[in-house]
Amino acid sequence: MNSSTEALSTHPTDCAEVQVPNQVFMAIAVASLSENILVIVAVIKNRNLHSPMYCFICNLAVFNTISSLFKALENILLLFKEAGHLNSLRLFELNIDDIMDSLLCMCFLGSIFSILTIAVDRYISIFHALRYHTLMTMRRVVVMLSTIWVLCGTSGVLMIGFFEAATVKIFFVVPFFTALLFILLLYVHMFLLARHHANRIASMPGLHARQRQSGLRGALTLTILIGVFVACWAPFCPHLLIMMICPENPYCECYRSLFQLHVVLLVSHAVTDPAIYAFRSTELRNTYKKMFLCSASRIFKECV
Amino acid sequence: MSEYSNQSQSGSDYEWHYEYYDEQETVSFEGLRANRYSIVIGFWVGLAVFVIFMFFVLTLLTKTGAPHPEIPDPSEKHHGLADCVLELSGSQAFSLSPLPDQSRSLYHFYIHEEAVKDAVISQGRHCGRGPRLRLQGAAEDERGDEDKHFLSDFHIPNFVSSDQCRFFSRPAGSW
Repeated sequence: MNSSTEALSTHPTDCAEVQVPNQVFMAIAVASLSENILVIVAVIKNRNLHSPMYCFICNLAVFNTISSLFKALENILLLFKEAGHLNSLRLFELNIDDIMDSLLCMCFLGSIFSILTIAVDRYISIFHALRYHTLMTMRRVVVMLSTIWVLCGTSGVLMIGFFEAATVKIFFVVPFFTALLFILLLYVHMFLLARHHANRIASMPGLHARQRQSGLRGALTLTILIGVFVACWAPFCPHLLIMMICPENPYCECYRSLFQLHVVLLVSHAVTDPAIYAFRSTELRNTYKKMFLCSASRIFKECV
Repeated sequence: MSEYSNQSQSGSDYEWHYEYYDEQETVSFEGLRANRYSIVIGFWVGLAVFVIFMFFVLTLLTKTGAPHPEIPDPSEKHHGLADCVLELSGSQAFSLSPLPDQSRSLYHFYIHEEAVKDAVISQGRHCGRGPRLRLQGAAEDERGDEDKHFLSDFHIPNFVSSDQCRFFSRPAGSW
């Protein structure tokens, strides 16, 4: 990819843009695509997983699938361009580029909102456990998911269409921080309840070591959940802020030179999401075992 | 998110480059007092501090909590079944692999309710009253004494087993 910073960098101490090879993007996109498609297939095939919680996890997987698909497509187009096959398709490429950016934007917003809905669903299932089935009916789940899709779709289109306006950039940063705050509050409240409960059990004899272990495990789970979310999403937001606030500052310029690295982090979040949310469910893992064992036994029968 | 623009330079071939970097701007790197990557370093250090601080706060919360046995308050008796389920769900959430299938967990709650009722009653205390839902007025509920039998049964990792789920599974028309 031709970097326009070559025109800028006359000084030897300039921050050159850090280039990430296309193969890295491609590998991450393919890994994320395969994981998320597995999650979607498992949730669709197993009737036990047709519940609100798994609908939200599947929704997250769908957003991640679309984003990694279009990231892979973008890389393929870049490869074609470098090979020189796209020279005659200018207008087509421009539109495709805008469409892909809108879809990527939609998917990024969608995955943030999906993670938020998963946190809300867990919160309701803990704090309103007895009313959970009346509060979280499948109809409401469908309404929530459609709202998220419509909101993210329109946001994606608007954000790419009017990218120069500062309000658009703010519109990406503000939902991220709001979502992060809500997720933090919800999970910490759930954790506090679990701790309060565990402390009461600790008053019973003979359970101390076990409880402390489970407490550390809970703290680690929560830290990983929040930490991965923040580490993948947070580095991208200052880019938008820097474009608004300090486009000519050398320090900001050095931050901007790491843009591709931060996009790698953003895309790698789609790889870690199934590991954090979906694959921790034993029911989902059992579904995979059944799927693969069945196909393996079928192949075995055909061979024999 | 990257943006491309095509600018035809010689008329037939064109270049792809980031619009993100504006050609008109020139940034001077002379006279920098601090390291040029100081914003990057500061950002990541801040992020790491935040995550580690959060982890320490959470682990600190796991260590606090008095080991003395609790005396159940008369004032707490009215919380009843809702609170019991609340606490059990809470222990599920962070004691096990996080949050197994919630839509089935309540059914399992009642299955185990029956199974351990003997053990529970033998100790003279129980939390909740069988399959009947009562949010209020469970006046005899005592808090702080969810039995270790009852709770140890909840430390079953695979909370959703397909056999029981088939028994309890609803068709998709639970909408």
